[in-house]
Amino acid sequence: MIASEAIPAKPTSRKTGEKWGTQVQDELYEEAASSFSSALERLARAYEADPDHRRDLLQEIHIALWRSFAGFDQRCSLRTWVYRVAHNVGASHVAKQYRTRPEALVGLEELESFPDPHRREAAADRSIALNKLLEMIQKLKPLDRDVILSYLEGLDAEEIGEITGLSARNVATKIHRIKNILAHFYNEGGRSRE
Amino acid sequence: MNDTPINPMQELWQQQPVEGTHMSIDEIRRRASKFERRIFWRNIREYVAAGLSASLFVWFSVQNQNTLFRVACGLMIVGLAYVCYQLYRRASARSLPGDLGTTNALQFHRAELERQRDFVGHIWRWHLGPLVPGLATFGAMAMLDARAHHVHPWVAFFVNLFFVSVLVLAWKFNAYAARCLQKRIDELYTAEASE
Repeated sequence: MIASEAIPAKPTSRKTGEKWGTQVQDELYEEAASSFSSALERLARAYEADPDHRRDLLQEIHIALWRSFAGFDQRCSLRTWVYRVAHNVGASHVAKQYRTRPEALVGLEELESFPDPHRREAAADRSIALNKLLEMIQKLKPLDRDVILSYLEGLDAEEIGEITGLSARNVATKIHRIKNILAHFYNEGGRSRE
Repeated sequence: MNDTPINPMQELWQQQPVEGTHMSIDEIRRRASKFERRIFWRNIREYVAAGLSASLFVWFSVQNQNTLFRVACGLMIVGLAYVCYQLYRRASARSLPGDLGTTNALQFHRAELERQRDFVGHIWRWHLGPLVPGLATFGAMAMLDARAHHVHPWVAFFVNLFFVSVLVLAWKFNAYAARCLQKRIDELYTAEASE
């Protein structure tokens, strides 16, 4: 296994170069899979509610990740690369489902303005709270979904900007909204638990 | 990594139970080639369906001695061949693009939406339009032959009207889908432009 920061130098001959490329690709994938497999599973869960389709999506993400490492250029961290690939595969999956029904998905703004009346009941129990959180995430538009998922995974604003392509200010505004939505979600659940 | 204290919802999210799915490199390779094979066969199915339709028109034209009917069949075959070529060029089933890691979510999502918009937005030009000469010839032949077969011309007219309506509906539906996609593309441009 190799650390992504220390990829060995590329050999000069073509044949050895190809072998080297495949070896690096495999090793990078191994490293990414061992470090981020749980995060990828959580991400697939946020993009697909149906367990069978989710398994397919997760496999698709793993395959896309392995393939993508053939072109890993080290211009960003391994973590950013992994999340970019996973989010792009997830967004592509969502786009297929909502081609002609964009209104079926909402943005963070709408979610903040119209809180779900059932949240109080939802957050009373940890597992129910998690299911309701997933339901809420699955309603979001792809880009807002990427931001909230990255935030929940603990990524900072700079990394979220690198993954989504949004400006730092835009990310900050969205994170502020996300914090409000999540605080509302948590506090209401907390009151109902008392 | 975020240095701020972990939010209770972040904790809830990160500590959710996972199945721990692991795929070995060999499994990844096997599944990747299986995926490619599935795409290959899906494309083959599309060509076979188009080939069967074309053969059907060839068979019709051999069976029928009417020149106008044969011309219509010929035009339909040419139209179908053009539609197939365009389907292959624009929208045949494909694996995911290779730049997934270098493209950020905004660019990737926008490019996918633009590709879909172009696909449905120009449907008249590449899908419906090429079939019109053949269908119109069939329609004209039906009108001309109606009297010879003791069918009232209005019947032929309404049958033609039905086919025209189907084409117009297909066009309108796709134009609506293109507008929906454009709305989402505009939202992404706005999100990118806002600082």
